[in-house]
Amino acid sequence: MRLLRHPLVLAGLAILALLAIGEAVAPGFAGAGQLRSQFVIAAMLGVIAAGQNLVILAGREGIDLSVGAMLGLGALVAGNVMDGDNAMILAGLGAAVAVTGAFGLLNGLGITILRIPPLVMTLGMAGVIQGLLIILTSGRPSGRAAPALTRFIIDPLVAGIPGLVFVWAGLAVLLIWFLRRSRAGLNIYAIGTNQEAARLSGVPVTATRVLVFALSGAFSGITGFLILGYTQSVFIGVGNAYVLPSIIAVVIGGTPLSGGTGGYTGTIAGAILLTLLQSLLNAMAIEPFGRQIIFGLVLIGLMLIYGRQDRLRV
Amino acid sequence: MTEAAAPAPESRPPLRIRWALAFVVFAVFFAVNAWLQPSLLTTRVLTSNLTSFLPLVLVAIGQTYVVLAGDIDLTAGAIIALVNVSVVTLIEQAGGSGGAIALGLAAGIALGILCGLLNGLLVAVLRLQAIVTTFATSIVFGGIALWILPQAGGSVPQAYWRGYAGGLGPVKLTVILFLVALGTAILFSRMRWYRHLLAIGGNRLGAFQSGLAVTRQRVISYVLCGLFAALAALCLVGETASADPLLGPSFTLTSISAVVLGGTALAGGRGGVIGSILGALTLGLINNIVFFAKLPYVTQDLVKGLIILAALAGGILGARR
Amino acid sequence: MSLLVAENIRKAFGSTLALDGASLTVEPGEVHGLIGSNGCGKSTLCKIAAGSVGADEGHLRFDGREGFFGTPAAAAAAGIAVFYQELSLIPDLDVAENIALGHEPGRRGMVDGGAIHREGARLLARFGSSGGKGLTPGGLVRDLSADQRQIAEICKILARAPKLVIFDEATSSLDGDQVQIFFEIVRELREAGTGIIFISHRMDELFAICDRITVMRDGRTEATLPVATTDREAVLTLMVGSALATRHRDEAPPRPGAPVLEVAGLSNAVLRDVSFTLHEGEILGLGGLHGQGQSAVLRAIFGADPSSGSVRLGGMPHARRSPAAAIRAGLGYVSGDRGINGVFLDRPILENMAIAHLSKSRAAVFRPRAFVERVAGIVARLNLRFAGYDFPLRTLSGGNQQKVVIARWLATGPRVLLLDDPTKGIDVEAKADLYAIIDELAAEGVAILLHSSEDEELLSTAHRVLVFGSGRIRADLAGEALTPTALYRAAYEVSAA
Repeated sequence: MRLLRHPLVLAGLAILALLAIGEAVAPGFAGAGQLRSQFVIAAMLGVIAAGQNLVILAGREGIDLSVGAMLGLGALVAGNVMDGDNAMILAGLGAAVAVTGAFGLLNGLGITILRIPPLVMTLGMAGVIQGLLIILTSGRPSGRAAPALTRFIIDPLVAGIPGLVFVWAGLAVLLIWFLRRSRAGLNIYAIGTNQEAARLSGVPVTATRVLVFALSGAFSGITGFLILGYTQSVFIGVGNAYVLPSIIAVVIGGTPLSGGTGGYTGTIAGAILLTLLQSLLNAMAIEPFGRQIIFGLVLIGLMLIYGRQDRLRV
Repeated sequence: MTEAAAPAPESRPPLRIRWALAFVVFAVFFAVNAWLQPSLLTTRVLTSNLTSFLPLVLVAIGQTYVVLAGDIDLTAGAIIALVNVSVVTLIEQAGGSGGAIALGLAAGIALGILCGLLNGLLVAVLRLQAIVTTFATSIVFGGIALWILPQAGGSVPQAYWRGYAGGLGPVKLTVILFLVALGTAILFSRMRWYRHLLAIGGNRLGAFQSGLAVTRQRVISYVLCGLFAALAALCLVGETASADPLLGPSFTLTSISAVVLGGTALAGGRGGVIGSILGALTLGLINNIVFFAKLPYVTQDLVKGLIILAALAGGILGARR
Repeated sequence: MSLLVAENIRKAFGSTLALDGASLTVEPGEVHGLIGSNGCGKSTLCKIAAGSVGADEGHLRFDGREGFFGTPAAAAAAGIAVFYQELSLIPDLDVAENIALGHEPGRRGMVDGGAIHREGARLLARFGSSGGKGLTPGGLVRDLSADQRQIAEICKILARAPKLVIFDEATSSLDGDQVQIFFEIVRELREAGTGIIFISHRMDELFAICDRITVMRDGRTEATLPVATTDREAVLTLMVGSALATRHRDEAPPRPGAPVLEVAGLSNAVLRDVSFTLHEGEILGLGGLHGQGQSAVLRAIFGADPSSGSVRLGGMPHARRSPAAAIRAGLGYVSGDRGINGVFLDRPILENMAIAHLSKSRAAVFRPRAFVERVAGIVARLNLRFAGYDFPLRTLSGGNQQKVVIARWLATGPRVLLLDDPTKGIDVEAKADLYAIIDELAAEGVAILLHSSEDEELLSTAHRVLVFGSGRIRADLAGEALTPTALYRAAYEVSAA
């Protein structure tokens, strides 16, 4: 029974249940072709949620509401650097990561040095970046993905699985290793669990907190780059739809908003779960409002199962 | 005994104005606005400004109670949308008479309270994480709003928006509503439950161990937020005379900005409603300033974003001193 | 009829059995002491009586009313008030508002600020000037020091005129004067027929104020003894199960070591011109009344709080920029306030041990296996037992958690250990283990600066003791001069006859 309450087990069971329901409602839902496209979509959410995961793990009400705007910025920068040129793919990625990482760094500095609450700082930053995007683009889409990038992301690479999924898998392995085996990773957990004890144990608290916000920016930038590759050109508001889902993927993956415990393995499951749920609702012939209502209710249900907080009376 | 050495007890509680800084920020923006737009200081422009700021002021008041208790409500915007379309649709279907309007108003308020109650039950009674849960309920509320009215439209009888634009003699109804909201907020802040709300936000376990009804107070704060969001929605109906299911979402985060700008700590337990009212007014003034500064259109959003970020940062830094 | 009868209470937190067969009877007008090593279930038993923790089994009767209380509010309404060890104060309300919390005077839901304030002032006046600056009805609790907060919590209880008061470690931060005033208050409550449960680790206090003492061990009530017919040794025996001999150290360090830590003119918000030298292999005790600068010295040297003055470590200037820099220079810091300053409860035991070593070595990668090899010897030495390195620290008892923190610092191979009341709230056995390891480390040449709130511990462990008062060193006692009387005199500023 205790194993059943483990977030990862729960998320896994929920994923299986969704696949079963999906297959019953719309035959082929759990088929290989469908699953491949699901994974492509889940990968985007998974990558942006990676940054969110780090921010939340580091505690102190850590949350990043600027990931959506950062995603748009990353896509814009990558698109303009690449501008349809295959030779510029890595340059585009590098530029996107550098720019969004820098804005993430600003978030981190505002939160640590000026001690502005993360919710406020990143909300404000989102407004600033949105304004910046409008100036940069004058409201029109600009920049193009390199064709090779689009092929890599969408076309099957090995065993029918598109390259994007491998990118996600690679990032996931790196991140899980980083959180378990690197000093910086352990430091993130330490400041998320007990910041004062971490400081007294020699953990560079400020630098670590700045790092998670910078990384969150960078992951958003990567996501922007990937989405640009997937859709070839993007509009500047593309990221807004990712902000709260990125937080939900983390939370239903077993990292509480209070931070300090959890990890990226759960978030992967959370991203897949959210994506399957969305697409199951799309597969069912329901009107948009019905889908929306059911989606919200399922989220509440998920929170009910394992998002509950401690009682005051034990 | 030790009493001889005791300092003379002060006879009155110290005066702590928690919104002083928010007032200074407000005053600065007001001055800048008046400089850019000299007509601001006329009764007509002041009144029309107050009218357009009123919905945000109301939502910010409601949000403050939730934040003070240490929670957050991401449904405020969705409640506005839901109440907005429900009221307009109901009044239309009930025939648009005076009675229909009264029914619509009552139903709208009841609906807001119901939504708040649901949030309160989920967050305080079932102990779900506030951010994620209220986001989920906001999706549900927004979905129901779309169900009732898939796209903007509908209209309310003339009596509704005429009445909203009217007033008592020379004083506009919106000004009266603003003053009533302000008065209610001040009255609330002197009540016992409000003191308990601050205690719960400041130290939840300590408040529980002191015998306070923690769960009930948190539910009440969500109910108040739902109520004030509903009132804001009714004002918006009066202003636009029609319904829009997509109206509202922006109010959620803006109301939180207003609360923070007003000096209330997101962690709970510290701050107050008057600050939030000033914060909401300040946000309105920032919109005005960006507009009247005659900036190139494309730069307006960036400048606004920067000013808000600076104001939020400055407010938080100033509150800390 | 007894005021409170709790019988055969059983309570489990997850898989840990906190109480199993705990019983307690309190009469009206009785001061009933409750003692036992940490984790024996004293606080849990009291919280169950007060309705803030639920019981699994057992029987409770209070003031003729049968059954457990469902909420603290219900218990409070019945007349039970609790001084919570971790306090129940609200940081952003002022002292008077905290005192009145939950029963504010006023009509029709309104609050009468003036009445709250006057009542707060009346209750605070009991403590007179002993509470120090800032302890006023209008002062915010967040600005108060630890002893002032305890006084505020005591006043909060007095305001409720309860039938039963539970004081859970109510004196832990109070100084001598404050304790005396507190005792006066307790005696008045007793005169008025109030039942009082008094939990304390200080045997002297229990014997000074209690009528009866109940000893608990491992979640069970061992015995209830009338104070008049028992003694400290008997209570101790019941607590630990076997008599514990008091050991007094009278020898100097085995060999006179070279100076390791030279402190000159250290000053900050708490400290006033503190100077001393610590030698290799020396255990230098820091004593005095509570909060006179003992912790502040350790934190300043460790770079946790800012300070001016000079500190030399092994002859080299030590800049005290940050704890990280201090760790690299060979310092380690253990605090008695583990929950705040020491432990990562949800993290694995291994990470709790590795965190400082990682900071010191600046290795980018954590190699668990290599680190386990590094600490295995330390773990054995500390007599530290646990189910596995991967278990969350939360699964250990307080004493074992503190041993993990010690292991963290031993893994860094420190030259100087700063121990800030390290045995606070730890059971007797773990205490003995900790003091054994301190001795061993000193014998190996580690220099140790030890602050303890218990004079007994300083006398039995330290080679030399600096007595602090108002942020200054009042006395430097060693050898023949280091006696309980000398410590007492220096702490209370009684000039030697």
